[in-house]
Amino acid sequence: MADRSRGGTVAVPERPGAYPVRERPDKGPGVRVRRAVPAAVRAVSGVARKSAAIVLLLAVWEVLPRIGVVDPVFLTPFSEVVVAWGGLVAGGELLDHVQASLLRSLAGFGLAIAGAIPLGLLIGWYRPVADFLGPVLELFRNTAALALLPVFVLILGLGETSKIAIILYACAWPILLNTIAGVRGVDPLLVKSARSMGLTPLRLFQKVILPAAVPTVFTGIRLAGAYSILVLVAAEMVGAKAGLGYLINYAQFNFRIPDMYAGILTISVLGLLFNLLLLRLERHFSTWRTT
Amino acid sequence: MSGQPKIALRGVSKVFDVRGEGEPFTAIHGVDLDVREGEFLTLVGPSGCGKSTLLDLIAGLTTATAGEILLDGAPITGPGLDRGIVFQQYALFPWRTALANIEFGLEAKGVPRRERAEAARRYLDLVGLNGFGGRYPHELSGGMRQRVAIARSLAFDPDVLLMDEPFAALDAQTRESLQEELLRIWEQTNKTIVFITHGIDEAVYLGRRVAVMTSRPGRVKEIVTVDFASREGDLRAGPRFGEYRHHIWTLLRDEVAAAQADERKVVGSHG
Ligand SMILES: Nc1ncnc2c1ncn2[C@@H]1O[C@H](COP(=O)(O)OP(=O)(O)OP(=O)(O)O)[C@@H](O)[C@H]1O
Ligand SMILES: [Mg+2]
Repeated sequence: MADRSRGGTVAVPERPGAYPVRERPDKGPGVRVRRAVPAAVRAVSGVARKSAAIVLLLAVWEVLPRIGVVDPVFLTPFSEVVVAWGGLVAGGELLDHVQASLLRSLAGFGLAIAGAIPLGLLIGWYRPVADFLGPVLELFRNTAALALLPVFVLILGLGETSKIAIILYACAWPILLNTIAGVRGVDPLLVKSARSMGLTPLRLFQKVILPAAVPTVFTGIRLAGAYSILVLVAAEMVGAKAGLGYLINYAQFNFRIPDMYAGILTISVLGLLFNLLLLRLERHFSTWRTT
Repeated sequence: MSGQPKIALRGVSKVFDVRGEGEPFTAIHGVDLDVREGEFLTLVGPSGCGKSTLLDLIAGLTTATAGEILLDGAPITGPGLDRGIVFQQYALFPWRTALANIEFGLEAKGVPRRERAEAARRYLDLVGLNGFGGRYPHELSGGMRQRVAIARSLAFDPDVLLMDEPFAALDAQTRESLQEELLRIWEQTNKTIVFITHGIDEAVYLGRRVAVMTSRPGRVKEIVTVDFASREGDLRAGPRFGEYRHHIWTLLRDEVAAAQADERKVVGSHG
């Protein structure tokens, strides 16, 4: 887990095979021609196939503590976690934690976007800036964000600032590195072609470099979205009074184990939804990219 | 004005400084060439003799090490919309539709939106792609992409069209139909065209003059004027066509041999 929060390691723009391509059984042009009933059956069986592993995992989670393979005190059966989760929702407690967490995540994530994209464009476009900042970037990108958490707390205190700052820091790396890669990776022939039409450097940047880099930048943004949730939990374990990380930590400390699992579950689902949203957005902005 | 060439190259040389190599690398040396207003000139020469370099120089994308290049009698100082380039690899902007690609040069020229859209449609029609304007490059075939690229270069109405092996990546049928279309467009628009090719047939079929270059460092070895009494029927099958082809083939044969010997020497000195 600690390793995954390092920003620098995942900057390579992903190839199409890197994440599973999801089928859309009801939208393919060929499917519409066929009869509706088999299509519906296929859709259901498709969903079933894809969720089979999840269902299996939940079943194992339910059964293992019940038959005593694992101590049910430490691994609460899934059904009881759901009940605990319902309690947290009903009491309004969970909503408060989710709100606090989302606020921090989105603030760090948003600030990272606002800062890292312009900086990445600058570094990618101007050689001298890249040469100047290169070694520092190299050093910091190889320093795990969480390793710096104590430093952030020391300097910025235990309040919101240090939490948002560490999320910002973790999110900034994939965006920065992908933006640099995006600008550098623009096909030189396109630049040549635009230059032959007499474009000034500024217009060239605006009309060729920027649009060409957009898909790569979005890959960085999506990765940053994942980090914003991953780092959040760790940040909230230190000196927070609300938030999902706080809930998980606090519940464990007070031996409210079902609540702890409810918190973990919530954060997983939150991360999943956020990632799905960003994936949608990324696809929308890269429709022209064929490879 | 009739006496003045559209493009004039006088003793043009281009020397590259290659990284890691001590001595500079001469791509072309002492090129003299006149391209007349409204003519279709094809340029052939062995691989690596500096054809693309020559085109870049005329386009203003690089500067000559020696000599001068005149456009309408004035030295070329940089790229401009008075010259359009068509590349072998199309170089279309993948995030723009066919129409938006054609509009690109017009945007650079500052043409208002309405006129731009109108002109783009007109040139899309001219290259026979009516109905494909909304497609992205990856949704078009190679031949269609090259048509879009040609339309893009024509749309901003340059006097000169510079084409670097534009049809080399296409299959034979597509190539022939595009050749015919290009001739039709040339006759309609009176552009001055400089067209690089590896195909002797293509050079003879398209060019009113064929400039043959020597092996590197490239010079213009000979200019062959191509003149058919009639272009009706299957031009390529006629005896005149065969004579031109044979003549250019003979000119090129020695140069290709020299180029290959030179390449072996370069490879040898590195190994
Ligand atoms: N930017 C550059 N730096 C160094 N050498 C270059 C550069 N551009 C071209 N050359 C060299 O100059 C020579 C001529 O290149 P050019 O691309 O003009 O050849 P060409 O006639 O177009 O070849 P081909 O028919 O294979 O396209 C080649 O030997 C090439 O290696
Ligand atoms: Mg070339």
